[in-house]
Amino acid sequence: MNKLGCSSRLGVLLGIFILALLLTAFVIGPLGSRLLNIQVPSYLQVGKPHVQLPSEAVFHVGGFTITNTLLSSWITILILFLVFFAATRKMKVIPGRLQSFAEVVVEGMYNFIQGVSGEKNARIFLPVVGTIFLYVITNAWLALIPVWGTIGFWEHGEEGAIFVPLLRAANTDINLTLSIALFAFCFIEILGMTKIGPLKYIDGFFNFGVLRDAFVGLFKGKIKQFFTNLANGFLNIFIGILEIVSHFIRIISFTFRLFGNMTAGEILLMVMTFLVPFVAAVPFYGLETLVGFLQAMIFAGLTLVFGVLAVTPHHEEGAEEHH
Amino acid sequence: MESIGINPQLLVAFLINFLILFGLLTAVLYKPILKMLDERQAKIKESLEQAEKIKEQTSRSEEQIKAAIEAARKEGQVIIAQASQIADKIKEEAKEGARKEADIIINKAKDEIKLERDKSIADLRTEFANLTVLAAEKVIKESVDAKKHRKLIDDVLEESKTFKQN
Repeated sequence: MNKLGCSSRLGVLLGIFILALLLTAFVIGPLGSRLLNIQVPSYLQVGKPHVQLPSEAVFHVGGFTITNTLLSSWITILILFLVFFAATRKMKVIPGRLQSFAEVVVEGMYNFIQGVSGEKNARIFLPVVGTIFLYVITNAWLALIPVWGTIGFWEHGEEGAIFVPLLRAANTDINLTLSIALFAFCFIEILGMTKIGPLKYIDGFFNFGVLRDAFVGLFKGKIKQFFTNLANGFLNIFIGILEIVSHFIRIISFTFRLFGNMTAGEILLMVMTFLVPFVAAVPFYGLETLVGFLQAMIFAGLTLVFGVLAVTPHHEEGAEEHH
Repeated sequence: MESIGINPQLLVAFLINFLILFGLLTAVLYKPILKMLDERQAKIKESLEQAEKIKEQTSRSEEQIKAAIEAARKEGQVIIAQASQIADKIKEEAKEGARKEADIIINKAKDEIKLERDKSIADLRTEFANLTVLAAEKVIKESVDAKKHRKLIDDVLEESKTFKQN
């Protein structure tokens, strides 16, 4: 009882403290100070959020520019490698904690993939889909750590001094999202071609069989059927072209979905921190955690679904769609 | 394109990054973990099969034991039945033997008694005859020829026997 009372009193104190912090933050923030007409000393002011879409250069190594996003993606890779290397270095049948964690990660992804693609192809999809998921989610969650976006230097350009953070959320670099999208696209198309056969895979788009039927019909003297099949055949080719275009559009949608969501999240956090420096941004951090998970899930899941579509023969799928 | 930051050099760098991560995770995560999961699955399957086998074996041996117990019980019952039969027989035989022996003894005793009686009677008779002879001798005071006398007595006795029988 005593312990409970003590902890509840502590909770109340903590609540009051947080509320006070929120109020202070509101007052010294730009909103409150403008509203209440208070001059806030400059050391309490948070810099105006500066939105810059391209990543900023941090180092130059020879002719190569290392940007802050590239740096944080290296950290992501290093962390993922180290964690899972440690987890699987000494594999045991009865796993320790770290190995259990790695097993839960792999098994969870594997079961998800298996549910979508079936037993046969799950092992082909796991490395690609799993890597995309782990890369995106680690990039997103690492960027929520305070070190990201806060440690940096001032660069004096023509617009005045600009703060350049040493580390920036890797997912907010369009080059990164584009690189994953290109990889996913190549994986999907190559997988489709190798699994179904290159000619059959391309035929899956255009469905040349109808056109061939038309000419076979003409040869046999079925004029009426020839025209309907001819029309259908050309329609199929048109649909095929559309579908090929849609495959390429996937790259763009992949790229901008992740880039847009992550950049928006970062700007949201920046703006919230600028407006109310303390406390108010915390719920948004929770939201960004969720968004990071969701975006990783969406990127990996869509790659998986497109891959499964590429692997399933097109004719059956088409037949299902027409009925 | 420049304003959102697409940069071919950086793009290639990120692509290489991703491929490196892909390779690393394949070597360090997917392969060993899947192998371990497969191994564990095989092991679990094997041990489940073994357990099933052991269970089957146990139930089979249990049945065997039950059957053996049943057989033993039946055998025991048969043996008990046989034993009691044999005991009955032995009792019966003993009884029979005892009766027979008793009969023999009784008969022997009877015979002996009879023999004794006959002997006594014969002795009595001779005694009586001698007495009679002595008496008659005394009475008639006359010494009859012993042989003649004997004959006389025998005649009388014969007569008396026939008389007795009549």
